[in-house]
Amino acid sequence: MSRQDHIREFAANALTEKRVDYFIGWKQGYNSSEMIPAFVTDPAEADQLVWNPLCHHNLVTFIKRNMPEPADAKVGLCVKGCDSRTLVALLQEGLVDKDRLYVVGVPCDGIVDRRKLEKMFSSEITEIEFPERGKVKVTTRAGETKELDQKDVELIGCAHCRYPNPLYSDNTAGPLEKEPDREETKPDWSALEQYESLSDDVKQALLEKIYATCIRCFACIHVCPVCVCWDKCVNRSRQPELVSQKVGPKENLLFQMVHMFHVAGRCPSCGACDRACPVEIPLGLLHAKMNKEIYDMFGFEPGVKLDEKPVFQVFDLKDQFGD
Amino acid sequence: MASKYLKSEQLPAFLESLAKNARVVAPFKRDGVTQYEPWQSGKDVELDVLLAKQSPKEYVFLQTETYLKFGYEMAPVPEGAEGEDAVPYETVKVDPQNEAPKQVIFGLRPCDVRGFVQMDQVFGGYGGFYFDPLYNARREATTLLAVTCREPRSTCFCTSVGGCPSSREGADVLFTQIEGGFFVEPITDKGEAIAEAAGAALTDPTDTQATEANEAKLASATKVDPAFDLEGVRDALHDNIADKRWADLAMRCVSCGTCTYVCPSCYCFSINDSIVETKGDRYRCWDNCFNPVYTEETSGHNPRAKKMNRFRNRFSHKFWYYPDKYDSLLCSGCGRCIANCPTRIDIREVIRVMGAPKEAPAASGAVAASAAAAAAVAAAADTTTEGKEA
Repeated sequence: MSRQDHIREFAANALTEKRVDYFIGWKQGYNSSEMIPAFVTDPAEADQLVWNPLCHHNLVTFIKRNMPEPADAKVGLCVKGCDSRTLVALLQEGLVDKDRLYVVGVPCDGIVDRRKLEKMFSSEITEIEFPERGKVKVTTRAGETKELDQKDVELIGCAHCRYPNPLYSDNTAGPLEKEPDREETKPDWSALEQYESLSDDVKQALLEKIYATCIRCFACIHVCPVCVCWDKCVNRSRQPELVSQKVGPKENLLFQMVHMFHVAGRCPSCGACDRACPVEIPLGLLHAKMNKEIYDMFGFEPGVKLDEKPVFQVFDLKDQFGD
Repeated sequence: MASKYLKSEQLPAFLESLAKNARVVAPFKRDGVTQYEPWQSGKDVELDVLLAKQSPKEYVFLQTETYLKFGYEMAPVPEGAEGEDAVPYETVKVDPQNEAPKQVIFGLRPCDVRGFVQMDQVFGGYGGFYFDPLYNARREATTLLAVTCREPRSTCFCTSVGGCPSSREGADVLFTQIEGGFFVEPITDKGEAIAEAAGAALTDPTDTQATEANEAKLASATKVDPAFDLEGVRDALHDNIADKRWADLAMRCVSCGTCTYVCPSCYCFSINDSIVETKGDRYRCWDNCFNPVYTEETSGHNPRAKKMNRFRNRFSHKFWYYPDKYDSLLCSGCGRCIANCPTRIDIREVIRVMGAPKEAPAASGAVAASAAAAAAVAAAADTTTEGKEA
């Protein structure tokens, strides 16, 4: 039985037993190269749910404050390893009610970075298949077909994933994936090395340059599962205008800094913001940097243990404060 | 007006000549992302990517536009003033801003142009509504050099909303890529002026080139898949306003504003004051109907409090409210909202479902592709300048 079959079965059962009002998984979008979040209410429709390496959406987004519709609905949802950490972060803070959730954990061996693929072809990608585990077959509108190794086209965070298996779930879709030895290996921050080697002035200039193209559509914070202020977001406030509504490099940088600080210690770098940004700003950079600082100072990884308090909700005299 | 031919290798020189008298804006690729940017000598225009991430509307309808600077100051007390006249008082000094430098946008697609044509209604005082001097000054100072689409995407649906990949509507000049260069058709006086100023860069086309351009236009139109039948959509949206399926369709919406900010015709904005001590700016900046505080009233009441209400607004506005008020659709079928939506919400699907009569199941929009494409090209050929000059 494939993971996909497990998901369909869990969803159909939960709906039949009225354990949930609806079940959130993934299904195919307007073509086979796009997976989208699926909301299933009828057990008979559970067979539209899919699981493949294009299922990048972090569905925890849809259970955060102001998202569940209706607000008191009982919701079933699928989580990958990284997604589950955002769910744990919300649970740690009491921001979602565990009793109204039914969680299907989906062990994951990597998610394809569709944007990476897009840049490899001149024509629009209209079809993606997975002929065997680890292989990606891409077909374009112009008819070009290419088979690639999945590992070469995965999301930046997948290469050094420490949590391929969900950390919180009621059921698991199939066998677990092989876990890295977390006692022996530390989180890999090599993606930050280049950024960290820059001087302060160059960093400032770089940040202003990468945020200059921000259009303030708020996709990054609305898809962020741990960003929960919604209509009360300080970045939206016009009266008082705490963060300028003007769109420009400095203003955009402040907007993104506010997001970074507000999710610090809560963001496990799931990458949802990165993937949602319509102008492809590498938003994960600052979040990853913050995660590294928090790990180095406090040895804390966000969203890992259910009974742990988020790092900024505790005060410990023994904490390291950096050098 | 006589058509011309521009060799591909002459394009930089052509843009260079335009840049002498105006700012030139064109699509460029930077770090793998294509966007409209001011042209500089040595930058290669990106025409292989069909659509820039955003439409070029930001060059006419600025995302942030400071239109007033103001300051509070004490009025001087006249010498020898007595009684009431001697009491100092505060005045407000205002300084309106309205810059509209000449600019030429090259490389935009017919759907991008149509976005301007549609938006012109709301800012242009159509039907006796407000005439916006800021927008119109910029629009007036802007010349649009459109390029026929070569490889429409699977998300394109211009032909379903009355457009076409080679439409001349609203464009000042239409360029069509043919062997070795462009077939150039000046359409308006502004376009003619551009062609004249270009001088020797443009040559007279051969008959073969004219034929080739026509074939290219027809070929691209056949590549646009029919998405839905526009007939009856407005009435169906009206009848279906309380339909439960709106909530179903809105479920995967995250209520960001991406669709509206990449859209060539969404035009909502908000107005803000930013004041430091006694001096301030009054500016407008883009807003969108997915913003949770959009339409929130001072009382705290929000008539569109839920995601679903705001979701419904976008589609109803484009295909129902706007057409009722301004006799124009507010969608040109570029498909940017589909391709850039974080959850790939598909406007075609929304219109197929909610724009279908209540009784009937979702219509498939089955129109013969080639016939529709040919009709669209024919219609576009008849269209002259339906923009502001008309």
